[in-house]
Amino acid sequence: MGDSRDRLTNCFLAVFPNLSTDEIYDASSTTVQGWDSVAGVTLFAVVEEEFGVSIEDNDLTRFNSFHGFLNYLQEVMPSNSGLP
Amino acid sequence: MKLAEALNLVMRMRSRGGNLLPCCIAAGINPLHLKTFLTAELSLLCPDQTVEIREGIYGDLVGNVRRLSIGDDLEFGAVLIEWTDLDPRLGVRSAAKWSNSELSDILTTAKGRSSRLRQAIEEVGLHLPLTICFPSLPLPPYSFASSWQMSEFELDLRTIVQSLASDVCRLAGVGVLSSQSLDQQSPMAARLDIESDIRTGFPYSLSHASALAALLAQFAKRPVPKKGLITDLDDTLWRGILGEIGIGGISWDLEHGSQMHAFYQRFIGALASEGVLIGIASKNDHGLVEEALRRSDLALSPTMFFPVEARWTPKSQSVARILKTWNVGSESVVFIDDSPFELEEVNLAFPNIECVRFPTKDNTAIYNLTLHLRNLFGKRTVFEEDTIRLESIRRAHSDANVNAGASLTEPLDHTETEITFNSGKTPPDPRALELVNKTNQFNLNGQRYSEASWHRLLLDPNSFLLVASYRDKFGPLGKIAVIAGHHYKRKLTINTWVMSCRAFSRRVEYRCLVELIAQFDPEEIEFQYARTERNEPLHNFLGEILGTSPSPGCAVSRKMAEIRADASLNRQESING
Repeated sequence: MGDSRDRLTNCFLAVFPNLSTDEIYDASSTTVQGWDSVAGVTLFAVVEEEFGVSIEDNDLTRFNSFHGFLNYLQEVMPSNSGLP
Repeated sequence: MKLAEALNLVMRMRSRGGNLLPCCIAAGINPLHLKTFLTAELSLLCPDQTVEIREGIYGDLVGNVRRLSIGDDLEFGAVLIEWTDLDPRLGVRSAAKWSNSELSDILTTAKGRSSRLRQAIEEVGLHLPLTICFPSLPLPPYSFASSWQMSEFELDLRTIVQSLASDVCRLAGVGVLSSQSLDQQSPMAARLDIESDIRTGFPYSLSHASALAALLAQFAKRPVPKKGLITDLDDTLWRGILGEIGIGGISWDLEHGSQMHAFYQRFIGALASEGVLIGIASKNDHGLVEEALRRSDLALSPTMFFPVEARWTPKSQSVARILKTWNVGSESVVFIDDSPFELEEVNLAFPNIECVRFPTKDNTAIYNLTLHLRNLFGKRTVFEEDTIRLESIRRAHSDANVNAGASLTEPLDHTETEITFNSGKTPPDPRALELVNKTNQFNLNGQRYSEASWHRLLLDPNSFLLVASYRDKFGPLGKIAVIAGHHYKRKLTINTWVMSCRAFSRRVEYRCLVELIAQFDPEEIEFQYARTERNEPLHNFLGEILGTSPSPGCAVSRKMAEIRADASLNRQESING
């Protein structure tokens, strides 16, 4: 459970290296200044590569925060992920 | 490399700082993650520099290539061609109709775009080193044929691409990325990412982008090719121990299961023909070795080996003698032996030499060894000088034996010499840059140039380039000296002066000085001199010209340069009678 969260945190750290871990947990496209379209697609790619998933959900608004990604991963990988 | 690793690496490298290494990706696609991977790979190869990769406008490949000429500080350009750059209808993002009747029109468009692309690459390649990557993605199912059939359309389209590749790979400053290497690193079926293409215009899977970036970085920052290969004989050049089983017992053929030794022989024969020096270091009886090398079925000419050190002393001593004969540093040489003991002994004596074990009886490993060696000795092109190098070293060795103790300042008897000078700056002569970047002893300051910085120097209207070629009654030495610098208001500033050690003892340096005076009529010549660990011959020459020990920015008047050059050349004439 915590493993997926840590891995997702590392994905966010790779794209937003200036954020602290606490800031990442609360990160969203409205609170993180550098979260533009390029950062968004980079985050998508990093998460897909890290978790071996292909995000086909067209509802992009769902992926506008750390929790949005975590919830998605919980759904597609229920045995390995979840909220603390 | 994973994307997250690349991002972390880029961030770490940026925080370290360093000189800027500006590069550019010219592509019609969105280079998105490829840019990140390439930045990371180049940062690994250039840890002291901060890599900055620029990109162009989406969908405008030809325009992006042309715009590379605007960025006059660029060091390297990667041109990525995909099928959609030849015709947008060949991609999934196009809204155009898809019909069998469109095929010939697509070919016509592809031909036109290919032609414009060729022109742009030719123009930009004159002053910026370019690496071209031809379509790496699978073709969409555009033609009527099944996927297992090559349709006329596909063959014609691939012919257009092949023709373009064949044209541009011959251009100075332009290289084509090996599709075979890319195939080995990135399976075709795993290259295309439709989701990413639709979402962002970046059609590459991350694994493909990573592999492509690694190859592009290697291409941009390829290592200096090694100059010489020293090989063992027993169980290396041939199978068997010559001293035990005799000349008839050693083998390199299918019949004895030793064919890969013939392959190795053929391979180093090819290296020799490309100008790589091949020496032999073997613990053997010299007479027996000479006889064995005369076997008519040897897969390379025995004259390609020089020198042959067959004796019973430690191999490090043989290697030392070979390096002295070649006059090259150990860092430029590969030593190959089947014995780990011999490899260690040589490696202890020469830590910079690349020691490689010959994997006798492992055919696959021997084949892989040749792949490794090809990368160590690989070069962009083979110059005329490469093909005559061995002969000139043999000759110099012979001269040195006759004139023991000869040096730069003790002229040998070289009658019937002919030195020709070429001061043309365009198109850039790649041999001149090669000489500048590999010469250590007669080198004004040790400064090396990237292709881009060399081209920028030559593009300066006040710059000059003088390349000297030499031949005498024994044959040509090819281009052996390069002088580059600036001339302004009768002052000549020399930034670079190198001369091949093969041209020592011939007073070529003085002839160059006389030629500089004749061509540019300077009142004063300034030398951007710097002492290096190995440029003593240049240091001594300059000291003779200046009449004092040289220092950075030292200068000599025209009159003094003429007097000292004349004195030296007159000494030569009196020796020649």
